[in-house]
Amino acid sequence: MARSTHTTPSGFLLPSIHSAEPFFTQQPNPTTQSKQTETWSRLILSYARHRNLFFVRVEDAETAGGEWDEILRNERIKRKVMPPHLSHILSEMVAKNQAAYEPPKQTRSVLLYWRLPEEWAEVLHQWVTSTGQLTTILTFYEITDPPVPSPLSGIPAVLLRKAIAILGKTGRAQIISIADGEGARFFAATGK
Amino acid sequence: MGASQSTPKVTAQDRAILDLKLQRDKLKQYQKKIQQVLDREKEIARQHLAVGDKQRALIALRRRKYQESLLVKTDGQLESLEQLVSTIEFSLIEVSVLHGLKQGNEVLKEIHKEMNAESVEKLLEETAEAREYQREIDEMLSNNLTVEEEEAVEAELKALQAESVSESPPAIAHIINVRVQATEREAEQAPVELPSAPVNVPVAPEVYAEPIPNTHEEEPEQRERVPVMA
Repeated sequence: MARSTHTTPSGFLLPSIHSAEPFFTQQPNPTTQSKQTETWSRLILSYARHRNLFFVRVEDAETAGGEWDEILRNERIKRKVMPPHLSHILSEMVAKNQAAYEPPKQTRSVLLYWRLPEEWAEVLHQWVTSTGQLTTILTFYEITDPPVPSPLSGIPAVLLRKAIAILGKTGRAQIISIADGEGARFFAATGK
Repeated sequence: MGASQSTPKVTAQDRAILDLKLQRDKLKQYQKKIQQVLDREKEIARQHLAVGDKQRALIALRRRKYQESLLVKTDGQLESLEQLVSTIEFSLIEVSVLHGLKQGNEVLKEIHKEMNAESVEKLLEETAEAREYQREIDEMLSNNLTVEEEEAVEAELKALQAESVSESPPAIAHIINVRVQATEREAEQAPVELPSAPVNVPVAPEVYAEPIPNTHEEEPEQRERVPVMA
């Protein structure tokens, strides 16, 4: 059974297990299933990191043409992840704090934490410091869509707000809101 | 509540700046949208031409031209907005520089209060007086000590000689003795030949300071220990 790894058009290296048909079927045996779900979670997170994707939805398994086709489908062996299977994987990821249901109170779409909000908070603070924007008022749009691409380009506002809240707890950021929109201001780390 | 204690309060100025920046962002997003429309219209025009529909292609291109002019106008407004934002941020920096200067000025004034010219002059005078006094004392003392120091030095030399003779080989002892004889004409010391018990009796010096202690060579009755002057 020579399974091989495969590199996708976007440059992502798929593990050899991705070429195995049983990998796409939700396994009945609990041990195998937990191993399988774990592998799928890791795969989803590393792909999200590679392509800078933040959301995965059950409908990505239902319809083709989305961002996740390279992972959720394998045309060479003619297999794909079924929606219930994906739903199960997502619920496991949320339970392990690798993702969160976003918007909350539904189970069809999750926000992926291939970087924890705490880590995002650090990346954010470092970026603000290195671009010399401490104590400057920044709009959310400025952070998510800067003229110079940054590690934060494309971060969803939800995740950004969480990161800013974490920084706010250590006195390194504050959110300013007005009628038209929101912004934030960052400070150097207070002596801690 | 707890957060606002460690971070500065949000002032009305901050809100105004945020407002400006949000407007600037809106303009930027508008520009992006227009750019997309431009590209799309170009595509449409091309398609129409491919079909051979010159009329439609022309209309598409005309629309595109209009959008381009909008884009140029937006660029101008964006520039003036950004200039305003930069000027405001710069004046904020200027304010804090001024504030810093004022603080520094205050600190300097405080320091000068402690350090007025009269007390400095007085201090210098007192120091000069003290130095003069010290010089006088030094002179007095040096006059008194010259003779005594000389005698102490000679006694030390004798003691050293006695010591080294008992330890060193004959040749060096001889050299030392020659040297000693050269410096001490009045002391008649017989040259010691071999490292043995010294022949000459060390003379107890009549000085205030005690020479190098040589307990194992001095005879008991000579062991009158004079208290050392600290």
